[in-house]
Amino acid sequence: MLEIKDLHAGVDGEEIVKGISLSVNKGEIHAIMGPNGSGKSTLAKILSGHPVYEATAGEITFEGKNLLEMDAEERSLAGIFMGFQYPVEVPGVNNAEFLRMAYNARQVKAGKEEIDPLDFDELLSEKMKTLGMEKKYKERNLNDGFSGGEKKKNEILQMAILEPKLAILDETDSGLDIDALRVVSEGINKLRNENNALILITHYQRLLDYIKPDFVHVLSQGKIVKSGDKTLAQELESQGYDWVTAAD
Amino acid sequence: MTDTITEPTEETVFLDLHKKFMEDNKSSSAPIQEKALSRFETLGFPHSKHEMYTYVNTKKLAATVFSVSSSSAGISESFIAGHIYAGCEKSCMVFVNGVFDAALSSLQAIEATVKISSLEKTEDKDFVLASLENENDVFACLANAFCTDITVVEIADKTQVPVPIQVLFVSTDGSSLPVMHSSRLLWKVGKLAEVKVIEKFVGVQENQKGQKGYFANSVQDWSIAEGAGVVLTQVQSDPFDAWNFNKTRVYIKRNARFHSANASSGSVLVRNHFDLRLEEEGAELILNGVSVLGGKEQVHNFVRIHHEAPQCISRQHFKNVINDEGRSSFDGTVIVCQGAQLTSADQLINNLMLSDDCHADNKPNLMIFADDVKCTHGATIGQIDEEQMFYLQTRGLSKKFAKELLTRGFAESIIQTIQFPEVVKELSNTLLKKLETSNV
Repeated sequence: MLEIKDLHAGVDGEEIVKGISLSVNKGEIHAIMGPNGSGKSTLAKILSGHPVYEATAGEITFEGKNLLEMDAEERSLAGIFMGFQYPVEVPGVNNAEFLRMAYNARQVKAGKEEIDPLDFDELLSEKMKTLGMEKKYKERNLNDGFSGGEKKKNEILQMAILEPKLAILDETDSGLDIDALRVVSEGINKLRNENNALILITHYQRLLDYIKPDFVHVLSQGKIVKSGDKTLAQELESQGYDWVTAAD
Repeated sequence: MTDTITEPTEETVFLDLHKKFMEDNKSSSAPIQEKALSRFETLGFPHSKHEMYTYVNTKKLAATVFSVSSSSAGISESFIAGHIYAGCEKSCMVFVNGVFDAALSSLQAIEATVKISSLEKTEDKDFVLASLENENDVFACLANAFCTDITVVEIADKTQVPVPIQVLFVSTDGSSLPVMHSSRLLWKVGKLAEVKVIEKFVGVQENQKGQKGYFANSVQDWSIAEGAGVVLTQVQSDPFDAWNFNKTRVYIKRNARFHSANASSGSVLVRNHFDLRLEEEGAELILNGVSVLGGKEQVHNFVRIHHEAPQCISRQHFKNVINDEGRSSFDGTVIVCQGAQLTSADQLINNLMLSDDCHADNKPNLMIFADDVKCTHGATIGQIDEEQMFYLQTRGLSKKFAKELLTRGFAESIIQTIQFPEVVKELSNTLLKKLETSNV
């Protein structure tokens, strides 16, 4: 599904990602872990098509298409979802209406009719219920004045509505208390199936107590320095990053 | 002996016009008109160095020769009906060229709760005369000098007006010269009374060729007694060739509330002057404003808020979306007087600039003479936020659509504070529509 080959990328001429290769198939969950400044978020930004971040070498294909030639909108419509570390507040844009617009953009792309507002409301209510989100989120403006936890829940709500083929969740667990983490993780788990894939980018192992990854990759100084299964995450939690990054 | 011919100045032009006006209009307000005119002579015509008009270019206005006319002929009932909001059909006061028109107004729903009359009572006359003593706004003086009648609207103590009152200010263009007309209102809201008012400014011959435009100049005073609540929404939708200056002066007593929102679509020159006084403990004020400007449209806001008593609250939030060669300014000062402890005052101005040639001036200001207060003020001028754009694009929205959504959203957050769904709906169709057609 997603193939990253020897990717070099950075911002403002500074290389941050220095040769990452990664292959993600349908049904898989990959966790990318690493200390601060290891290049995790840069990788996420590059995958989502942020205009400020630039790939300087290597390639990324998504379902055989060159991802680096697609802009953020095209990537989204192709089925990639980016869960932001710091979701942006958009005052004046109603959350429910925004979600419907995003849903409809996908419908139109797929050659389907736009959804009836009442039907969408039903769909939204159902998804919000599974995430334990109160109705007030419909009336509020997009992330406007939301707490950190509320913003993250709202990201997962968007993911639930858009049903992406590949979701990249950047530090989704940061800023969540343990109850919110459980609810968000359960929400993510419900969205999993054999046809979609998930990349979790995280600093801490605790998210992986709830969402079991198939693969864990450790990123250090812009490179994957170690890959393994979920037991690697546990080792990182107990021993810290030093033992893997020291070998780099 | 030779006569000296002096060049007419801006002042003499208005003084001559006033002579003609007084010949045509014999009114009981003559002492007020004369006092206002003498105040105008003292102040002189404002130039850019005048504190109140720093950002407002009045040169073109000064160079324009106006006529005065109060004829209301030719305004159809259907025109009026087209501008009355649903729910206000039986509670609308119509002013044509500054003069209250009883025939076009419809007051059945508020007859029992609202008293509308001409200025007669000595106390009201004294109030207006006293307000002129300290009137420093030249155009407010002119509005007093040129108005034929002062309308007094009274709401008795403990009265709840059952429906919103709409005040429709209709202006007609001059056919040979631009026409200047002035309206003057006095609102007296009694103790514990509640009233909601929607004001709308419109022109009757919108953008017809050969018409010369008009200058609508209005002043209104609101006296809000103890515990009373007023919700005021002002909608300015004059055609482009109009000047619209208005001054809203409000006196808020103990525990009374004044919540206001102003939506301006701009014209050749729009100036909103707010002079708001929180006179007694516990008074509360909300003043929001939004404008969407394109072409060469201008909107200028001049705000003075006086916290004269302890425990009062004022909240201001103004937003402008400016495209093309549009121009806006905000000159606002919050004055916290000595003894006005525990004041809470916020002031925020946001400008969204959509073109290289648009212009915004901001002067947020605080003057604090008390030591236990909480005051904030700030102003932003910026373009569309790239991170917000990116965020929306990652959800599959196109660049163009995301931009439009963000621009609308920027203005909408103020429009949403308006309590009348009909007004919100209309502004979405007019003000926000401008953003779709403009090249955002």
